[in-house]
Amino acid sequence: MSDWSKVTRPIPVPNEWTRPFWDSAKLNVLAMQRCQSCRHFQHPPYATCVQCMSVDLKFEPVKGGGTIYAYTIMYHTGDKRFASAVPYASIVVEMDEAPGALMAGNLLEAEYTEAKVGRRVEVIFEKLNDDITLPQFRLAR
Amino acid sequence: MWENRCKIVVSGVGYSKVSRMADIPLAAHALEAVKGAVADSGLEMSDIDGLATYPELPATGHAEIDGISVVSVNCMMAMLKLPNLTWHIQVGTTNIGGAVQQATNALLAGVCKYAVVWRAMHNPRGTYQNLPGAQAAGATQFTAPYGFGGPGQGMAVAYTRWLEKNNQTRDKMATLAVTQRKHTQHNPHAYFHGTPLTREDYFASRMVAHPFCLFDCDIPVQGAVAIVLTTADRGRDLKPKPAYLAGYGQRLHFETAGRIGSLSSYMEGGSSSAKLTWERSGFTPKDVDVAQIYDGFSASVIYGLESYGFCKEGEALDFIQDGRIELDGDLPLNTFGGSLGTGRIHGLWHIIEGALQASGRAGSRQVKDANVSFVGASAPIVTGTTFIFVSEPY
Ligand SMILES: [Zn+2]
Repeated sequence: MSDWSKVTRPIPVPNEWTRPFWDSAKLNVLAMQRCQSCRHFQHPPYATCVQCMSVDLKFEPVKGGGTIYAYTIMYHTGDKRFASAVPYASIVVEMDEAPGALMAGNLLEAEYTEAKVGRRVEVIFEKLNDDITLPQFRLAR
Repeated sequence: MWENRCKIVVSGVGYSKVSRMADIPLAAHALEAVKGAVADSGLEMSDIDGLATYPELPATGHAEIDGISVVSVNCMMAMLKLPNLTWHIQVGTTNIGGAVQQATNALLAGVCKYAVVWRAMHNPRGTYQNLPGAQAAGATQFTAPYGFGGPGQGMAVAYTRWLEKNNQTRDKMATLAVTQRKHTQHNPHAYFHGTPLTREDYFASRMVAHPFCLFDCDIPVQGAVAIVLTTADRGRDLKPKPAYLAGYGQRLHFETAGRIGSLSSYMEGGSSSAKLTWERSGFTPKDVDVAQIYDGFSASVIYGLESYGFCKEGEALDFIQDGRIELDGDLPLNTFGGSLGTGRIHGLWHIIEGALQASGRAGSRQVKDANVSFVGASAPIVTGTTFIFVSEPY
């Protein structure tokens, strides 16, 4: 299993579009940006709904179940902050309620070889510091 | 069809030395390439009245210093002191192919007569993706914390999606890497000229970001290439046989910044650009005699082949087998070696090769009876452009 214990993850810097996402994550809730006009979920958050141009956007909680849309197994150690974890799985997840909204994560609590397109995963939360908690994924239980 | 088809030509082309690291600043490479292209055209520097480039450094965490890590239009103006300069531009949304298209538009508008376009690429010392700092701001806040650092991983995720969705394996990509390296041996300017690659080498190479091994990634180098564009009537009087621009297109698709792994972003980027190019030129993929498709990472070629319409979705890795992309195959591909052979110079070298094949100037790698020459320059996702060059106006 990838050893994440010595990895120093870059800390996300929330901005006016993304702050509600991180505020929810801190409470261990995954909330995604949703258009209040056409109900389209989008990620990453954006200034407008990229489906209908509405500016009426809110963050709504999602249940946390999803499917691996794509993944890569990282072997290159060029980024020293992550070098101690290689090989590790970086995955892209499509949440059940938000088709088309693709979220990045790592596959945790499993061998990196378990990452496969179409496999079911669920969100878990990794606290980075008092301000930022990172949504992550493990295989669905 | 486009009313301006075959009114603009590529004339001379030029190259600097391409090396892993260089002791001279990048500006000197750009100057060497530009001088080469002007001389190849049989022109004097004082004839040049248009300048265009795309000066981005794709490495992260390194300072952009004009003349050292990038070569801007301003830098070139300072070096050349062109007495008759009338027009210049730097582009943003379409990589170097956009600079070629803007030069085309300027020539058609009559605001310059002989335009030079160059692409200069720096290889910084230390780690290429030298990701700085402890924070991830902007679009990277949703990717960098998970180890998505460089473009390789971003490309790799879409590639696994493509492979597993289509029940394919990465083994078949060896054909692309080995065939392009074979083509490279006919290109004395390329970084890997003189260094062959076998299937065994490909399978034995270290993984970078699965499914990409080392030989799926173009090697960062320092170097520059350049071309001279002019109008067809002027081009016919110059030294080399011109390559006529039959049509071009640019990607019309963009998904929000920071969206990662989306296969549709590649496919729709590529198809939107190609559609314009087929409509403007009047050709279809079946008419194409030789193709150059951007290959900064090998998977770009499969997205290109499929989104441009050379084969169906999911079939590109089968399409490139059985000698089809050899110099004497049905669709000779990346005949100059591609970026995998030349080193990372982005898409201008693909455009150069497309023009050389159309004008019959490709030397020992010339494809027989190449009349319709297609180019997909740069990865379709972010900045893709497409071109068709022909040997004679029609
Ligand atoms: Zn909407």
